[in-house]
Amino acid sequence: MLQILIYGAVISSIYALLAVGFTLVFGVARILNLAHGAFYALGAYGVYTLTANVHLPLWLAAIVAVVLVGLLGVLIERVLVRPLRRSMLAVLLITLAVALMIEQVLLLAFGSEARNVPSLVDVTYHLLGVDISGQRLFALAGGIVVLAGLWSFLQFTRLGSAILAVSQDAEAAQYMGIPSDRMYSIVMGMSAGMAAAAGVLVAPFQSVIPSMGLLPLVKAFAIVVVGGLGSIAGSVVGALLLGFSETIIAFKISIEWSQIVSVAAVLVTLVLRPAGFFGKRAAF
Amino acid sequence: MTGDRIDWIGALGALALLVVIPLIFGSSYIIGVMTVALCYGMWAASWDFMSGLTGRENFGHSLFIGAGAYTAGFLDVNFGLSPWWSLLAAPLVAVLFGILMGFPTLRLRGPYFALAMLSGSAVMQNLTIIFSVYTGGQDGLNGLTPLLDSTLAQYYLTLGFLAASGVLLRLIANSPWGLILRAIRGDEATCQAAGINVNFYKIASLMISAAVAGLGGALYAHYQLQVGPDLFTVVLSINIIIMVYVGGIGSIYGPIGGALLLNVLTETLRGLSEYRLWVYTLVLVVILFFLPQGAIAPLWRRIRRVLP
Amino acid sequence: MSALLQVEGLNKHFGGLHAVRDVSFSLQRGSITGVLGPNGAGKTTMFNLLSGFIRPDSGTVLFDGSPLVGLAPHQIVNCGVARTFQLARPFAGMTVLENVEVACLARRVRHSGAPRARAAALLDQVGLGSQADNEVDVLPYGDLRRLEIARALATRPSLLLLDEPFAGLGAGEVGPLADLIRALHKSEGLTILLIEHKLREFMQLVHEIIAMDFGEIIAVGSAAEIVRHPRVIEAYLGADDPVLELG
Repeated sequence: MLQILIYGAVISSIYALLAVGFTLVFGVARILNLAHGAFYALGAYGVYTLTANVHLPLWLAAIVAVVLVGLLGVLIERVLVRPLRRSMLAVLLITLAVALMIEQVLLLAFGSEARNVPSLVDVTYHLLGVDISGQRLFALAGGIVVLAGLWSFLQFTRLGSAILAVSQDAEAAQYMGIPSDRMYSIVMGMSAGMAAAAGVLVAPFQSVIPSMGLLPLVKAFAIVVVGGLGSIAGSVVGALLLGFSETIIAFKISIEWSQIVSVAAVLVTLVLRPAGFFGKRAAF
Repeated sequence: MTGDRIDWIGALGALALLVVIPLIFGSSYIIGVMTVALCYGMWAASWDFMSGLTGRENFGHSLFIGAGAYTAGFLDVNFGLSPWWSLLAAPLVAVLFGILMGFPTLRLRGPYFALAMLSGSAVMQNLTIIFSVYTGGQDGLNGLTPLLDSTLAQYYLTLGFLAASGVLLRLIANSPWGLILRAIRGDEATCQAAGINVNFYKIASLMISAAVAGLGGALYAHYQLQVGPDLFTVVLSINIIIMVYVGGIGSIYGPIGGALLLNVLTETLRGLSEYRLWVYTLVLVVILFFLPQGAIAPLWRRIRRVLP
Repeated sequence: MSALLQVEGLNKHFGGLHAVRDVSFSLQRGSITGVLGPNGAGKTTMFNLLSGFIRPDSGTVLFDGSPLVGLAPHQIVNCGVARTFQLARPFAGMTVLENVEVACLARRVRHSGAPRARAAALLDQVGLGSQADNEVDVLPYGDLRRLEIARALATRPSLLLLDEPFAGLGAGEVGPLADLIRALHKSEGLTILLIEHKLREFMQLVHEIIAMDFGEIIAVGSAAEIVRHPRVIEAYLGADDPVLELG
């Protein structure tokens, strides 16, 4: 029982990091970033390379990895996405292309064997008769910290309020003199950074393989559809729902059944309420 | 000569070429590659018929392919029926899936429709793994019986079905039906105001698309002699969409050409298996940035203009 | 003679907004009636209710004795009620001829002559014959309005609903379009209901005017009567549009 609670919370926290970034990019820039999972993978591989090859201390490697992936996100938005903005399908396919290319690069550079990333917190706690790895708790805490940081940023800074304004009404924001184009790059960078942070936090206990970004992308996507594209609160709630239902089903029934929850939820949501259950307006 | 006449003559020429190729390059490896390419041709043409004409892009086309293939698998492996029954049953089962997915998604616009269809195929993919007792799980079903004894005969059989379905789809596309489907792409509300039962045509075109895709799935299954959950993947759906875009969306014959071209291309690069994905993504980028109308259909139209 | 269209107690809410309030009126065969009202008066919503694009919360619509409420838009078209849209959205990527040809495929008219030939004839009738093979995307705005009318006529309607046919037209284009509508009314024996929010535009055209404001009918009468009606004057006072100029 406690195990379900903890595991569910950890996975929800990671899902929330991924989903909020995904929905932010959609809400502000109106793009479905299929490279989101690739950023997650790059975060994990980044921290691996920086510790194993560049020999940075783990905490520094983590920060550097997140920042670098964030910058990559900005670059991709400026160079590849912006010229194609007129067509949603084109943007979708170009982010797909980026995702595939990144996966290929990782495969070529690191091979398909799982890589080992050392844990930041190497302690195993023993609570109420259950073993819980300290790293998982750290991931949970890390996720919460990042999300809290994002929330404060959006609420209390000028840039953050501007981003929130654009996500609510891009045209109106432009009339008020907020440069939407720059917003898009910044949000993309933030989103990529958050995905990378998720990758960094889970790297010690998840398999670090080139294709590791696919499933998280699917999950993030499902959460965002159910929660409402563009709704941050919806993403958090959705992340909790998915994280816990997957954990409960995985423990009680089977792992295979737990994997169907996300895609089934998407289908049901689209048929019943395409705008998502917490979203305020239709996204498309 | 009217544009249409030239099209049919061109198609006949392409068909003749496809008939002759295996006689020239006799190796069963090449015939095998071509047979698979022909199946992709059926999948691409069927996708184009619905999504290309109505503009409702279906990102879950693999649902119909897998449905047809697994039907063939079940009938053959689990029930021991002659493989010819698959060719009848597979399209029907695929149509059933088309109806199942089609009705709930009727009112969904563009991206929502695409996503709903995509999640449909993903759900089936998961179900296939969950019920591995019946479906063979990740390993799928093996040991299907081929339809005919020689690979060459199978090739011609598949070619026959591709030609027949291509002709059928093209005829429908050129008929008043096709006009209505294109009008649905133009504007649904205006279409209704023109007295057209839009929902009927949406469902009908999805059913026809599903039938041809399912038939292709069965032919593929009885050629590969195995079916697996990879036939329900998003990757398959996207690959087919890329082939359609390369060929020229909306033309029916263009996507067939695109399917043949990309299959041959990736086979010739088989040695560099790590780079295959690069090829696809490169093609994707080129099409998106430089050739949004595709390559094959526009090329053919240019040739046609020069002819007498 | 019974009315061609009988509307009784039509109501529609959008959330808290009562967009159409207890609207009742009838149209006699062969009449041309105008619906006048400022923006937001509920005119287009009423059209959408009549043509089946929106379902009313309550009320009945009888067309030639048959109820229309609950029918899908295409079914209503096939009963003989056609409409145009305020913002014409033609079938992009198709030719002008094909745009009308689609409407010739409606069940009501599918077998009354070769669709393509009928479509060509209709284009001639509205004065677009020379544009038949052009892509509809390059059609100038004024011609798009004519195309809308041709498309609506293709379904051989008995009742034609025109939603702001003169909107956005230049001064020189209004007259010819009004002439066209008048000619079609005579040649096709149509009953016409048309929306405009500028009185001047349709004063010469219509037999009777229904004035609406805030979703309800505030006056019905001839143009001369409407202009003098106290509630109408009150509704339009302060509108920056010189609605009441008869010039």
